Amino acid sequence: MQLFKTPNIPFLKYKYVALALTGAIILAGILNIAVFDGLKLGVDFGEGILLRVVFKDPMAIDDVRQQLSDIGLGKSTIQESGEEGREYQIRTVQTGTAGETDDEQIEAHQALADAIIDALRKEEDAAKAGQGLRDLNTIDERSLTALLSSSFPGSGPEAAQRIISYRRTNGIITAFEVLSGLGLEPALVESLEKETYLGSLAVLSRETVGPQAGKTLRRKAVQATVWALIGMLIYIAVRFKLEYGVAAIFTLAQDVLITMSIYSFTDREINLPIIAAVLTIVGFSINDTIVIFDRVRENLKVRRREPLEQVMNLSLNQTLGRTLITSGTLLLTVGALYFFGGEVINDFAFVMLVGTVEGVYSTIALSCPVVLFWQRIFKPKNSRNR
Amino acid sequence: MKKNLQWKVLFTLAVIIGAVILATPPGEKIRLGLDLKGGIHLQLQVVTDDSINIETDQEIARMEELFKKNGITFEKMSKDGLGRFSASGLLADQEGKTRDLLDQYAGDWDYTFAGDRVILTLKPLVAQFLRDQAVEQAQETIRNRVDALGVAEPLIQRQGADKIVVELPGVDDPERVKELIKVTAVLEWKLVLAGPAPDEETLLQPYGGQVPEDAEVLRGDPKRGQSGYYLLKRVSIVTGKDLRTVRRTTDEWNNPAVSFSLNAEGGARFEQVTGENIGKQIAIVLDGRVQLAPVVEDRILRTSGGVIRGRYTPEEADDLVIVLKAGALPAGIRYLEERTIGATLGADSIRQGLVAGIVAVLAVMTFMVFFYRLSGLNAVTALVLNVVILFGALAYFKAALTLPGIAGIILAIGMSVDANVLIFERIKEENALGKGVLSSITLGFQRAFSAIFDSNLTTIISAIFLFQFGTGPIRGYAVTLIISLVANMFTAVFVSHLIFDLTVKKTAKTLSI
Repeated sequence: MQLFKTPNIPFLKYKYVALALTGAIILAGILNIAVFDGLKLGVDFGEGILLRVVFKDPMAIDDVRQQLSDIGLGKSTIQESGEEGREYQIRTVQTGTAGETDDEQIEAHQALADAIIDALRKEEDAAKAGQGLRDLNTIDERSLTALLSSSFPGSGPEAAQRIISYRRTNGIITAFEVLSGLGLEPALVESLEKETYLGSLAVLSRETVGPQAGKTLRRKAVQATVWALIGMLIYIAVRFKLEYGVAAIFTLAQDVLITMSIYSFTDREINLPIIAAVLTIVGFSINDTIVIFDRVRENLKVRRREPLEQVMNLSLNQTLGRTLITSGTLLLTVGALYFFGGEVINDFAFVMLVGTVEGVYSTIALSCPVVLFWQRIFKPKNSRNR
Repeated sequence: MKKNLQWKVLFTLAVIIGAVILATPPGEKIRLGLDLKGGIHLQLQVVTDDSINIETDQEIARMEELFKKNGITFEKMSKDGLGRFSASGLLADQEGKTRDLLDQYAGDWDYTFAGDRVILTLKPLVAQFLRDQAVEQAQETIRNRVDALGVAEPLIQRQGADKIVVELPGVDDPERVKELIKVTAVLEWKLVLAGPAPDEETLLQPYGGQVPEDAEVLRGDPKRGQSGYYLLKRVSIVTGKDLRTVRRTTDEWNNPAVSFSLNAEGGARFEQVTGENIGKQIAIVLDGRVQLAPVVEDRILRTSGGVIRGRYTPEEADDLVIVLKAGALPAGIRYLEERTIGATLGADSIRQGLVAGIVAVLAVMTFMVFFYRLSGLNAVTALVLNVVILFGALAYFKAALTLPGIAGIILAIGMSVDANVLIFERIKEENALGKGVLSSITLGFQRAFSAIFDSNLTTIISAIFLFQFGTGPIRGYAVTLIISLVANMFTAVFVSHLIFDLTVKKTAKTLSI
């Protein structure tokens, strides 16, 4: 089966249009980032705290926001995840006081997290804890085992294990009836009902990074990006010619800039996986570029008399089928990640999705023109030099 | 079958079987990262300045003694800064003698004379060594403490000059672990001169408001129900270093407690001091906080040891035993990064990653078979092999599978068909130019190879830098990407070609592509 007969689209005719479009997107992005603070740094880079919680009973997002406003944290980013309105992701950035050490700031962030958790908990929790009851939704396995073993020396440890394992799978225990379904003896469930209560909230994860560690992570992210780009430039310059290496890097820079520009218009934050996603896009895009350059290299050997622009156009057309098919399969997998991969990986998948589409554009629209421009500027007389 | 084909088949089978053996059962062989398994990730910094300060204090004490012993007059020695102290009030005619003494006994220190003072500075190399040693010791101590917790597969790794990363999979009690790691665990027994008193003023009233030369004021530990202030002798009777055994026990009222016994030297000192101070209090001090201050009722024999009853919960008593056994930290530590991932979240991520992976694999497979027919089946086989080899390699390198790692695998699936697409499109082209089926296949593989090689290698280059500079989950991502790209060169080029060789007849006129 064939996608189409080798087409003959004069891609390179539109090189100025493409350049203008690219420029416009990047300019808008830079404006948005520089003037409107569009790019938001995430918890990985030393900014605030990320908390994921699950409620025993469904809770409206407005209620969550109200509770947080009450303790002066109304500006937190609150995201609902899952379908039952029980899971929420809360991001709070507290502007640190100058001169605070990492330790103090981490402590401050932890205190902030505790405050949020306390605010979201229902009052009845505190009352029950005050009566000396333990919260079955937060108790650790060791304590639960100890608690159960005292009255049920035989079956206690195993029951504790089952309860904890149920809680691990489901995040939170919604009612004592659920426990009966685990095959626990009724007497044990009864004693649990007396000695414990079901807290209204469980913490799924909490993350905070101090400013110093955040700075290190930021530096490493930049280092990784820069070195990866340099490595690729050198490799391509060696395998092809300098101008092809330069063109490849131009294409890559465009990939990074366009993706980040688009990203800056969303509410998403930059975390470490985003850097990885951008670098992967760069990798894919360079794959495409290399395939085309490889074809140009091959065609130049046979078509010595034709101008470079024509050879390039031919190569672009010859590889178009492959470019589209590959990007198509990639889009299928990235789409699967985006739609089914879950909350935690969603930002990553979004960047990949944008980048895959953008990568095709940048390869076709920009890689070859840069080589052409370069040769026009630096080797104007020797037009036979390719 | 041609002879070298036989070898190729054998080789391919060996690789597949090897990978399958390495990766079965996947539940046990594939190590999961913290983000999938749940647990605690801590990055901490060792305050290496502490070790320099301790060294300086010890050197001052040593020098005071040496100066006195050798008849060198001085007014006083004082710490001037980090790794720096000076002796003042020296006599001019003793400078030579002082120099000789310092040359002989203070080799780790640089010194300069300024007027009647001599200033000693710790040599940079020595300071560096001390800092390094502090981090190493801290790492060792933390490892011992964590091991005592019984965590499976903990990761305790030094990072950079003074940082340590601790990863504890499956731990569901972050506060306890943090406390356990951070506590310096310097345990001391000191004679109580006065106290407890509600505040410092009341405490020092009998002493005219001044802290006596050989004493210090310490606060009680609120966690142990001690709220007052104590005036203690500065010199410890015994310290944690004198402990021979530490054991968790219960006291006569069945409350959790910690029993200890002392080594010969410490026991002797303990026996003497208790014998001389019957009726007085001895304070047990942990990290500068008074835990309790029992009254000495009788001389405690050197062999009998003692019991610490600090109103502990069973967990606290356990933890005290752990830290006392593991020894004190050589320097304080600060937390730089804290992440607690619940097991539920990890399980969710695995499930969603699995769904996304299956959807991706099915979508790509359907697409390839629909588009390339029988040749598409060939590509699908290569793809499945790629994933099998990837899991085998993950198991072999004991690399952790992380959430970005799962994303890496899914992407690798998308990429691994790229090589096949390149080859197939090329075969079609050659075929369209009028070449025979067999030579089209051969040419297709040959001509597509340089593009496949170059593109895979550039991506590997960028993944290597990601691995180099990345942390945790990102490394997992880089690893899966690198492995699957390497495997890709094998499956999509070598194996795929082999399948064509085995299935396409020499006389074939058409190819299902």
